[in-house]
Amino acid sequence: MGFVMEDVKTHFLYPSSLFASNEPHIVSTILGSCVAVCLFDATTKIGGINHYMLPFWNGQGLASPKYGNIAIERLLEKMIALGCKKSNIRAKVFGGGEVIETNIAQFKIGQRNIELAMEALDDLKIPIVAKSVGGKLGRKIEFNTETGEVKQKYIEKT
Amino acid sequence: MGHKITDDELLDELKRRFEQNKIAVKELKTLNEELKIANKKLGESEALKSHFISNITNEIINPFTSILGLSRAILSVDKENWKKVVSMVALIHSEAFTLDFQFRNIFVAAKIEAGEIFPEIIYTNIENVIDSVLDSFKYEARRKKVNVDFKFDIKTDNQEPFLFKTDPEKLKLILANLLSNAINFSFEGGVVEIVAKIDKDDLVVSVRDHGVGISKENQKIIFDRFKRLDSGINSLNRGHGLGLSVNKAIIEMLNGKIDIQSEIGKGACFTIRIPESESFTSDLASEANETFFDTEEETF
Repeated sequence: MGFVMEDVKTHFLYPSSLFASNEPHIVSTILGSCVAVCLFDATTKIGGINHYMLPFWNGQGLASPKYGNIAIERLLEKMIALGCKKSNIRAKVFGGGEVIETNIAQFKIGQRNIELAMEALDDLKIPIVAKSVGGKLGRKIEFNTETGEVKQKYIEKT
Repeated sequence: MGHKITDDELLDELKRRFEQNKIAVKELKTLNEELKIANKKLGESEALKSHFISNITNEIINPFTSILGLSRAILSVDKENWKKVVSMVALIHSEAFTLDFQFRNIFVAAKIEAGEIFPEIIYTNIENVIDSVLDSFKYEARRKKVNVDFKFDIKTDNQEPFLFKTDPEKLKLILANLLSNAINFSFEGGVVEIVAKIDKDDLVVSVRDHGVGISKENQKIIFDRFKRLDSGINSLNRGHGLGLSVNKAIIEMLNGKIDIQSEIGKGACFTIRIPESESFTSDLASEANETFFDTEEETF
């Protein structure tokens, strides 16, 4: 279509931040090795999204959603605070591209970020209904918090 | 190779190892469960803390703003018989200033931890930003008898003010944290030197004190939250060690870096390097409005 039909609010999601709202929003973000987990409750039509850069908080510095384990838990808390039921929540996972080539496992941040999402969502018993992860390209995604729909296109780098 | 292993021996050995593995796996499972519980508890306390703090923001910031404003107004009255009043008010101001400053750090830390903070990039007059931070610390520096020396080493054409694309409020907090530490860790009569310059298109600001200094081991941990260094002079100073971890997080948000140069007894120099932001916050917001071309996008 190339244009927005209705006047839906937009939000640009910065790395290390998260967003959830019971008002319809189009949230966009740009992912390289970062991962974004989109959570959606179809019953309440509430959606939320995070954008984390590293898998685990190491206990040093601030416990921010820069880290996957914190970002996923905190997003879920926020969704529940907005009135979602955990059992109704479904997840879509994006990003984790290896935009910088490396053979050293410790440096494969994209891969580690993806694994963290899979494990954390599995632990929380939240089903993953769609994903587009890995590869060598960056991604731009748009998440519609009212429908749970995610549009994605590949980009050269972040 | 004198002894050849028989099949029975091999089987026994395998059995033994299998049992050992079983025990190890069981132990690992228990440990894992314990870790999960600990992690959950940690998560719960984290969530509690974040919620509590974001709820009390207004209740605390507002009274402090009034206390600061009032005491500041009284401080500027310069009459002989007001001396005692002024000295008392100076104390009130100092107390309130410290609390106000600490609370701001706590609130920003809470926002960072809640993922509710992002850069708000505008054209920023760097000299004004630094001046306003220095001005806010004027009475603190005077009380501690510390001189603050500021050198603005950035030249512009036509005496136009120097403008830099960054987040002025975050920059103010970064500098306030560095200056607060520098003043607190200075000896009476000491000097704090601030230099701002442009290096390879980045904004570089250094804040140097001539106080007790920080050991190499401590330099590694000072950015951890709630850590404060234990050294002699420290007991006289307050703080909850949040400032530098807040600084680190905000500097990262602006894609910058922070370095320390210090030796025990020779003071400390903190240098921040912040690249100019590529786009304004408003650009990104409008870019977020653009929709994709049908041919390139996929829907999930």
